[in-house]
Parts: sequence; C-alpha cells; structure tokens
Amino acid sequence: MIVQNLSAITPLLILGGGVVILMLQVAFFRGHRGALATTLLTLIATTTSCLFLLRTLPTQGHTVTGLLLVDRLSLFYCLLNIFTAAIVSAIGFHYLCARLAGQSEKPHHSESYPEAFYILLLLISLGACTLVSANHFASFFLALELISISFYPLLAFSVHGDRSPLRDQMLSLESGFKYLMTSAFATAVGLFGIAMVFTASGSLAFSTQPLTSDLYQAGLVLFLVAVALKLSLVPFHFWTPDVYQGAPTPVTALIATLGKSALVAALLKLVHTLQLFELPIINLLIATLAAASMIIGNLLALRQQNIKRLLAYSSIAHLGYVFVALLLIDERFAREAVSAYLVAYVLTTLSAFSIVSLVADSELPHTPGGAHPLQDHARDPFQRAFYRGLLWRAPVLSIYFIVALLSLAGIPLTLGFFGKFYLFSAGIQGQQWWLLIALIAGSALGLYYYLGLILDLLKRQDSAVAGDNRETPEKKPDSINMLKPAGCQKTSVTDRPESIALSGWLVLLLLTILLLGFGVYPSPLINWIIAL
Amino acid sequence: MTLLLILLLLLAAAVLCCPLEKVHPGSSRALAIFSLLMTTVLLFGYLWAPRVFTVPATLADLWWDQLNWAWIPRFGIRFHLGIDGLGFLMLALTLGMGLFGLWITPGQIRQRVGLFHCCYLLTIAGVVGVFTALDLFLFFFFWEVMLIPMFLLIAIWGYEDRTRAAIKFFIFTQASSLLMLAAIVALAYLSYLQNGEITFSLQHLAQARLPLHTQYWLMFGFFIAFAVKLPAVPLHPWLPDAHTQAPTAASILLAAVLLKTGAYGLLRFTLPLFPEACSAFAPLALMIGVASIVYGAMAAYAQQDIKRLVAYSSVSHMGFVLIGVFSGNSTATLGAITLMIAHGLSSAALFGMVGKLQQRFHSRNIAEMSGLWATLPRLSAVALVFVMAAIGLPGLGNFVAEFLVLVGSFPSYPWLTTAAVSGVILAAMYGLRLLQRVFFGLPHSNQVTPDMQDLSRRELAVFSCAGLLLLWIGLYPQPLLSQAKEWVEVIHNRTIENPANYTPRRDGDSRLKGSEAGY
Repeated sequence: MIVQNLSAITPLLILGGGVVILMLQVAFFRGHRGALATTLLTLIATTTSCLFLLRTLPTQGHTVTGLLLVDRLSLFYCLLNIFTAAIVSAIGFHYLCARLAGQSEKPHHSESYPEAFYILLLLISLGACTLVSANHFASFFLALELISISFYPLLAFSVHGDRSPLRDQMLSLESGFKYLMTSAFATAVGLFGIAMVFTASGSLAFSTQPLTSDLYQAGLVLFLVAVALKLSLVPFHFWTPDVYQGAPTPVTALIATLGKSALVAALLKLVHTLQLFELPIINLLIATLAAASMIIGNLLALRQQNIKRLLAYSSIAHLGYVFVALLLIDERFAREAVSAYLVAYVLTTLSAFSIVSLVADSELPHTPGGAHPLQDHARDPFQRAFYRGLLWRAPVLSIYFIVALLSLAGIPLTLGFFGKFYLFSAGIQGQQWWLLIALIAGSALGLYYYLGLILDLLKRQDSAVAGDNRETPEKKPDSINMLKPAGCQKTSVTDRPESIALSGWLVLLLLTILLLGFGVYPSPLINWIIAL
Repeated sequence: MTLLLILLLLLAAAVLCCPLEKVHPGSSRALAIFSLLMTTVLLFGYLWAPRVFTVPATLADLWWDQLNWAWIPRFGIRFHLGIDGLGFLMLALTLGMGLFGLWITPGQIRQRVGLFHCCYLLTIAGVVGVFTALDLFLFFFFWEVMLIPMFLLIAIWGYEDRTRAAIKFFIFTQASSLLMLAAIVALAYLSYLQNGEITFSLQHLAQARLPLHTQYWLMFGFFIAFAVKLPAVPLHPWLPDAHTQAPTAASILLAAVLLKTGAYGLLRFTLPLFPEACSAFAPLALMIGVASIVYGAMAAYAQQDIKRLVAYSSVSHMGFVLIGVFSGNSTATLGAITLMIAHGLSSAALFGMVGKLQQRFHSRNIAEMSGLWATLPRLSAVALVFVMAAIGLPGLGNFVAEFLVLVGSFPSYPWLTTAAVSGVILAAMYGLRLLQRVFFGLPHSNQVTPDMQDLSRRELAVFSCAGLLLLWIGLYPQPLLSQAKEWVEVIHNRTIENPANYTPRRDGDSRLKGSEAGY
C-alpha cells in the first residue's frame, strides 16, 4: 500500500527532491547555469514519471491518504504545469542573464543570487502539482499557500547591477508587497470559509454531498471569494494590473499561467466532486463573477498603454471565459472544455509574455537606468508606443506576437479559436445563454484592443529608416517629444533581435508552432484530453 | 481534388510571394497573376468535365465534385468541399475579379509589394474556401480566415484613415460572426440531441426538424452575420469606410467578392437550414432590403467622395439581392444571383475607375473635378458604361438582374416591391449626378495638366472585358441562370431532403408553392 501510494506521488517527490538538491547545490557551488541545469533535469524527471504514471494508473485514479487523488486529470495538469515551469525557467534565465551581463565573472562576489529564482520556481511547481491532485480542503489549502508564499519573493525578485534599473527593482518590490497583502487577506477569508464548511459538514474531504445548511453555503461562498481573489476575478481584481506590471516579466508569465491554471483545475475537481452547481447561490456567484470578469476585464483593458497591464486585464477576462465551461453539469465535457481552454490560454499567454520579456531584455542595454519612470514612452519597452511599427524592425518577433494576439482574440488558425469553440459548445450544452452573451460581448471588446495592438505593430513608417539620433531625445524637452508623432521617435529605437539568445528564439518558435499546429489540426490535443 | 488544388495553388503562391519579391522585385505580382490564371483554368475545366445532368434527388447528387475528409472527429467536423453551379459562378467571379483587381492597378503598391500580394492571394484563398465549404464549421473557419488578410490589406496599404476603417471592418464582421458561431454550435447540438450523432455537415443539419421559435433564433444568428457582410442597412457603417480607405485592388476585392459571401451564405446556408423561419422572417427581411435600397441610394447621392458614392451604391444594390433571396420565389432568387455577378463586375470596374482618377488627381472629391471628358475621353467612356450598368440600363447585366428580382417578388409582396422600384430611379439620380459633375461640363482650368495620361490600351482592354461580360449577361443571361438553377430548385423545392422521407413542410405557405413557374 505504501509503495503504491509513494509511486502515485513520484512526480511530487521528484519535484520536492529537486528543490532540496538545488538548495544544497547552490550552497556549495554557486552558479547560474548549474542551477538552470538542475531545474530542467528535475522537470524532465518529473515529466517522465508523470508519463509513466499515466500508463500504469487505474482509470479512476489512486487516492493517497485521503488528501490527494492522483488521476489522469491531475497528471495532465501536472504535465501542463511542468511545461509552463520549463518555459518560464528558460525565459527567466534569459531575463537574469541580461541583467547580470555587466557583472564580474566570479558569481560569489556579487550581491545577486539568481539561483534562488529556480528554487522558488520549483517550489511553485511543487505547489501547483499538489494543488491539481488535491482531494481535501487541507491539501488544497496547503498547496495554494505553498504557491502564494513562493510567489511573494519571486514577484519581488531582483538582481543588482547596472543593467537592472532601480525603477524595475522598486516596481517589483511593490508588486511583491501588494500580492502579499491581498493574498494574505484571501488566505484569511478562505480559511474562515473552510472552517465554516467543516463546522457544517464535519468533514474536510471533497467527497461529501452538498448540504443546504446556511452555514455550509456561507462557508463555500467565502472560500470561493478567496479563490476568486487568487484568480483575480472581477470584483476581486484590483491587485492584478499592479502586480503584473511590476513583477519581472517571466514571473508575470508564471503567475498568469501556472498560478491560474492549477487553481482552475483544482476548482474543476472541487465543483464536480461536491456538485456545487446544485446550489443556486454558488451557481449565481460563479456566473456573476464570470460575466463581470469577461465584460469589465475587457473594458478595462481597452485603454491600457502598458503591455503588461493590458495582458493582465486580458487574463482577467480569459479567466472569466473559462467559467462558462466550469459550470457545466456534464462532468466529462466540462473537463474536456476547461482543459482545452486552459491549454490554449496557457500556451498563448506564455507566448505573449515571453515575447514581451525577450523584447525588454534585448532593449535593456539601451534603456536608461535610474529610479524614475521613463518619460519617453517610445523608449520604454513595456509601453505600447514602443511596439509601434515593430513589424518592420523585427519581423519574425512581431509575427510571433501577432500569432499570440490572434490566439488571445480567438481567431481561427490558432489554438485560441478551438478553446473558444469549446467554450461555445459548453455554454450551449449547459444553456447558459447569459454567459454566452457575455462571452460574445467580451470577445468583441477584446478584439478591439488586440487588434489595436496588432495595428500598432503594423504602423508603417513612411519616413526614412533609423538614423542614429539616439542622443537627441534627451536634449529636447519632453513635451516636444510627446507631441511628435510617435513614428518619428520610433525610428531612433530599433529593436535588436540579434541580442535575443538562441534559447529565447527556440522557446518562441516552439510556442508558436504549438499555437498554429494545434490551431489547424487540433485532433491530437483533443484526443489526448478526451482520454483523461 | 481540383478544389483542393485551387486552394493549395493560391496558398503556395501566397507563401512564395514574400521571398520572391526580395529576390526579384516585381515577380510577386507576376506570380500572383500566374497563380490566379492557373486556378481559373482549373476551375473552367469543370465546365468540360463529363457530367450527368439530372434533377438532383438528394443533396449528395448535386455536387460536380466533392472532397470529404475527416478533420476533427471529436465533433464530427469534416474537411468537406464541394462545387455546384452556384459555387462555380461564385468561384469564377472571385478568381476573375481577383485578376481584374491586379491587372487594373499596376504599380499602385510601392511598399512591401511581396506582402501585399501575399495578403491578396490569402484573401482570395479564404473566399474560395467560403464558396466551397459544405461543412458549417469549415465554412466558419474560412469565413474568419478571409478576414485577417483583408484586414491587413486595409490596415497597411490603405489611405489616410486606414486604421480606424480596418478596426471597424474587423470588429463588425467578427462580432457578428461570433453570433453565427454560437448559432452553428447550437444547431449542431440540437441536431445531436435529435439524431444522436454530432455533425456539422450541411446535408445532415438541413434534415434536423426544429420548432419554429428555435429556428427563428438560430436563423437570426446566421442572418446578422450575413447581413453585416451584405451589408443590410442598420449594419452597414463599416462599408463606406472600409471601401474608401482600402487600396484600389482591395476595394475591388471587397466590393466584387467579399460582399457576395454574405448573400451566398444566405442562399447556401440560411435558406435550406431554416426554411420555415426564413419564410416567416421574409417580410421583415424585405423591409430591410427596401430600406437598404433607399437609404444606400440617398446616401450615395449626398457623397462628395466618389469612392464613398460607389460604396453606398453597393449598399443600395445589395438591398435588391436581399429582396431576391428572401422573397421565396425562384425567379427573384435567380435575379439575386445574377445581380451578385453583375454587381461584382460593375462595382469592381467603378472602383477601378475611381482608382485611376485618384492616381491622376490625388483626390476623390467630386467638387475638385469637372469636364474630364475633354482631357480623358477613354476613362470617361469607361465611367459612362459602368455607371450606366450600375443604374440599370437595359442591355447590361444589372438591368436583367434587378428586373428578375422585381418581377419575381411582385406577386407576393406588391407594396414592398413597388417601394424597391424607387431604388432604380434613385440610382439614376446619383449615377447621373456623378457623370454630370465629374465628366461633363467645362473643365476646371487648374485640373488640366499636360502630363495627364488617359487610359492605356491595356487598361482599356481590361475594362472592356468586364464591360463585355456585363453586356453578355444583359443580352443572354440564360447560361448563367441555368448554372444557378439547380441550387435555387433545391432551396425552393426542399429536394435537399431524402425523397423517401420527404414531407411537404410548406403546406400552409401557398405563396411559396405557387411561384415555381418563374423561368
């Protein structure tokens, strides 16, 4: 029995072991590359064990001590989490290298500890993989806390040096602190809710049938509010844009994908084991949160000038979309639709944030340092103004970005379309007409800013190409710069795709191929999801 | 297989355009023209292919050629292409006007020529997919795919206000097509509940028997998407901007081909899928049609920008198409199909003509031009011919088409048809105003510059091709009508169903039964 239990949680054991090994390794041999290698090896080993388990596991899954239920669904999400973590570690490596570039070669003399990034990343993966296997409020909560606590330092993560502007460091500190406050609040609310559920039902396991007592329902509502806070659904979304904007971009990618998808997967399990859709109040709560997120998330994104804030609001809306499928009573189809949408969302969001991160990295040597926000938006690689006309400066990168944006908008030929198609099917099957209308309205709103961004990328520059007037903007007063058409300024800042390392290009290529490949021929992915 | 070959040829040429242009400037245009010529030849091969002409008993017998592969088995979605008489006409129009658009605008695109031709061919490939798809999901897929390159054509190579026009165009079409997607999925789901088999095939879905109010809602989803494309009056605001701001070749593609996808969708999908709902909706649809005719014509009369004038005239003409499609009469439907072809030819030529004017005067303002006949006789003659076609001069294609529409729909809807006739008079008003202001009268002194070139022989030849086709349709439309007849019969007789379980569904609707003797 013990052997079986242990074998069922090998992925978790390997991840946990990887964290310990990495800590010991860093204690003895400081080294950035070594840390990345250990991380990737751990992730590969975890993937192997997941794939092995997928073959051997019985269909109904394996319960480990009542706390965890390892089944095909949880293994699928483990694989998705690990994939996300691997991509983020590659992007993070690029991010850290770009900022450490100017430092002395001997790492133990520097004040920066890039290795900690990977330890925290593995810890988050461990939490996410535990979360998707959770079968008990206690394990659910523990896993959620593991993720949140590892995110606090990761969001505030910074390395010192000339290449790491003080501005970014301050912003990421702010981001970590804001997340700490909201997350701690969510924890408190959630714990209170769990306590009420326990008082009402006498059990914390997920297997109990729904009770109709007020206490039980109130407990669940509080618990769902905590989840909504973590998922940043409207009206619990206020922390999202600031946290996303300030965090190091790879971490933003991580919190937008892994932090959300794992929780949604766990929620999917929770909703269907407890049959929460039987309770009208819960149904109403989830539907309201979803509709509000779709509409308000997209509305707020409309006028964002900062790319990361824009993607933050867009992720709020996308999380709202998922809930259309989550409420479906038909469990098999709900699983299928939610999984399909989450895969599409995770791949697309990863792709978009990777591009933003890599663009910022490549622009880093030419971005002025200092603690003050950049006045000249066209030189701030996180501003829309910077992306104006990018297609003509960095065609390949822009095409990747356009694919990611089209996928976010749910246009055919991309994976995002099939995700949205699944949601439409789910909404119609569940006869959620109001949610469907919100979905359509939200998508139409979403189109506006995705398209606006694509159009910014396409802005043609009729003026002559890139004279090197890089020094001139500082001499002029800022007001004049603001008044000038952005096209003229933009010519001074050429993108430097050559400064993106091969690993970055490979990551982008992989993600784009996945987005387009599954967008044209999604059958392999669908078959895989059906088999869950 | 030929259909797939046409699609692949267009796609391959589109992909090759960008690298080729880098190697040898100008070659992408040649490649685009070559690929369009090749596909036209392939398409016309169908006319000589041996075919048994029978009255089709089922929908499956109707197609000249089919291609049916599994695509996404999970949802029963198939890669199902097919061509029949109607599809052939539409494809011929698409490829022909694609060629026309390129031939008439040499050297107008100076920047990113390779990418331009790539987008141009991709749009055409998407439209070819739309006109051949027989699986509703596949149809939707192509419907969306043709949008993106068109959007790029407007957004990158358009005129001064291109960004706003492109966004407007995309959002109008995309938002409405999301409604259509919801309707498609709902239809498939309802048919799944009835038959226990999930499918998106047109043939199978047309057999689903739905209660009238469900049909009504679903039809509404389809209708809005197609009415935006058509465009019908309350949903038209994207059109004047998109047409005006697009580069000439893209305007031609938009007017001649993309507008027709809306009418085609109504004919191919809405009518056979929701027959009862359509006949119940018909009076309202006809009212929308009349409103489009009158509003489009009046708005056209008020324009100062020639391109906007032509664009609004499209709204007006598409109102006739809407009437023909929904009047429930074979003659009127045939008239609508003829008008789709004839309007494709005449509006493409008019946009080509405006492009030529813009090239010479860098303006499209009516007030800035006068008396061009003296300086540019050939261009003015071309304008005269096509404006006359557009206002429905007997002997040219549009007259036959509009006449058929009016004759066909008069017995059922006498008052609405009478109102629609006013469109012909209004068309004469805006058409003649355009001719009189721009081409007749005394020339402005500042307009006449010695280097003003008239049309070259080659350009004149291209315009004459379109003119001769219009003349042919106007004098002898029978070959065209007989190609379209099969599908019109399918719509109106419901032979789409298996004859074994055919039950007359329209007993109560005597109007529709009594009107088969049109042609």
